[in-house]
Amino acid sequence: MSRENATVFSGASRYVLDEELAKIVNISMALEMPLLLKGEPGTGKTMLAHAIAESLSMPLLVLNVKSSLKLIEALYQYDTLTRLNDSRFGDSSREVSNIEEYIRMGKIGQAFVSDIKTVLLIDEIDKADTDFQDDMLDVLDQMEFDIMEIDKTVKARTRPVIIITSNAKKDLSDPFLGRCNFHHIAFPDQDMMRRILNVHFPSVDQELLDICVRTFYKIREFQGIEKRPATRELINWVRALRADPDFRPKDLLQGKIPFLGILFKKSSDYHQATQQTRRLRI
Amino acid sequence: MFVDFFYILRDSGIPVSPTSFLRLHQALAEGLVSNLDDFYIAARTLLVKSERFFDIYDRVFAHFFKGAELPDFKGVELEAAALELLNEWLKHPEALANALGMSKEKLQSMKPEELLKYFMDRLKEQTGEHHGGSKWIGTGGTSPVGHSGYHPGGMRVGGVSMNKSAVKVAMDRRYRDYSIDTPLTQAQMGEALKRLRRMVPEGPRDQVNVEETIRATTRNAGEIEIVFDRSLRDRLKIILMIDNGGWSMDPYIEVVQTLFNYARAQFKDVKSFYFHNTIYDYVWEDPPRRYKGQRVVDFASWDKDTRLVIVGDASMAPYELMATDGSIHIEERSGLPSIDRLHLLSKLFAHSAWLNPTPKRIWPMTRTIGVVASVFPMFELTLDGLERAVTHLMSKN
Repeated sequence: MSRENATVFSGASRYVLDEELAKIVNISMALEMPLLLKGEPGTGKTMLAHAIAESLSMPLLVLNVKSSLKLIEALYQYDTLTRLNDSRFGDSSREVSNIEEYIRMGKIGQAFVSDIKTVLLIDEIDKADTDFQDDMLDVLDQMEFDIMEIDKTVKARTRPVIIITSNAKKDLSDPFLGRCNFHHIAFPDQDMMRRILNVHFPSVDQELLDICVRTFYKIREFQGIEKRPATRELINWVRALRADPDFRPKDLLQGKIPFLGILFKKSSDYHQATQQTRRLRI
Repeated sequence: MFVDFFYILRDSGIPVSPTSFLRLHQALAEGLVSNLDDFYIAARTLLVKSERFFDIYDRVFAHFFKGAELPDFKGVELEAAALELLNEWLKHPEALANALGMSKEKLQSMKPEELLKYFMDRLKEQTGEHHGGSKWIGTGGTSPVGHSGYHPGGMRVGGVSMNKSAVKVAMDRRYRDYSIDTPLTQAQMGEALKRLRRMVPEGPRDQVNVEETIRATTRNAGEIEIVFDRSLRDRLKIILMIDNGGWSMDPYIEVVQTLFNYARAQFKDVKSFYFHNTIYDYVWEDPPRRYKGQRVVDFASWDKDTRLVIVGDASMAPYELMATDGSIHIEERSGLPSIDRLHLLSKLFAHSAWLNPTPKRIWPMTRTIGVVASVFPMFELTLDGLERAVTHLMSKN
């Protein structure tokens, strides 16, 4: 690992980073390749990009991928409606004959035209179709795209640090994978989870923490749950438990689990969970 | 450098591309890797693109750099191997041997787990092919494991059923007569496809059609009139679950698969799974239903809007549907009756339909058809039924 490289990532204030992932991030930055992160929801894939941006003090641009998203929208948008409106009423300061004034950069476009290096997070790439995925990587490979309406090529001034996340069980296409580095973040084990909680609650009672974590991992094993609670839910749950003056940690051991609604957010899951907690013994 | 490593990875079944291997060398050249730990991480992130291969990578790495023994990745688990071996064997069953060794009572008293263990133990002892006898596994005899043996509560390990007392297997073939006239045939494929084409969702009218707007505006003497188009909706995802168990289903499997394969272009994704008679803990991606299992509970994390189409005759012994250990296959018995699994699936996927190739007029004669039809809306596998199934699948609620 080249230590002289000024931009070496080593974790942020609220993100517990394991050494392996730190190395992977640094290798990807050095090779200037996008890093594809897979893993269950709640393993901190999205948080990683936030943490990198924070620790290297770079601006973060988030492209939330939707299934209906077209590549061009991620690059730029030609605001025809405003132009039409301006040409009709003519009360804006924009020059109607200058189309460039109506071009707005999308997230990828913003990352390209930014003067300083940015972190570009492309979240949940698996929601888009394969064509989008491959075309997007073409753009990211070449670091330039054309704006058809004004016949102009936008070249990236700096190569952004690109983090791509995917929740998909199935693999992405081969050409896509070929252009990315890959890492799979496993769901944190109990020790790691305690460390994560300690970062979020520096003054927490260790016994409470221990019981909460054990209960949480039991609860995660419930059958037939659609959305299993993840780190985010656990943190909120611990926060709620600490705020409740009536709560005794021993209740958890007897299967009395308050605030299930924080852990299970779908009504059918909540229903399942209430039924199954009755049989729960830690 | 590390060319051997590259080839061992490839030989072990990890799809490693030469480009990524060159990139690893670039990383080495740039001094990003200074020790073996770095190399382990760098090589994995650059070469291995799916977590499914992480374990193989670990083992290859240990072999290459630490001299650990390289396991044979082509080998399957012992149990799967045992089943496979036995299946192969049982394709040529001989006449039942008359030998009796173990008493009927003793066989009946054995639990499924004991049977499985007995089977595995015998298999380890056994070295030659064997037919008949009371201890070894072969294609006859009274050993509680194996096939065509006389065992009142025994389990079945493949082959064609011969002995009536293997009650579950007998049920497989009970409805063979129903399959004489195929409701949906290859010849009707074109017509059937037309009906499937209707499975295209429409979005709301919320997209501005710029050209039409300009035209309408100019026609309107400059007064802006905005024309909206329907926005495109994402194409549908389809899960196809096919009963390929008894041969009563055989004529339809191909028809249904060809149908959905032809129509694949209009769907975002078509996934096929297989099951036998009804669904227990697993459905299978491979037609022999042995290697690539998909846990039914894991469908919880799939897209709820996926359309679930199940094709099967829904005809079986009632207890296969209702009993907690109704599965013919011992490894799928988790204590939940199949009907619970069907209910779970119908809850997970709001839009589902069951296509039944048997003619509707005989449905009342089979109890399980009625039970399944109370869980999933059931349609005949005919052009008419398909049309109504499509209408049902596309309805809003």
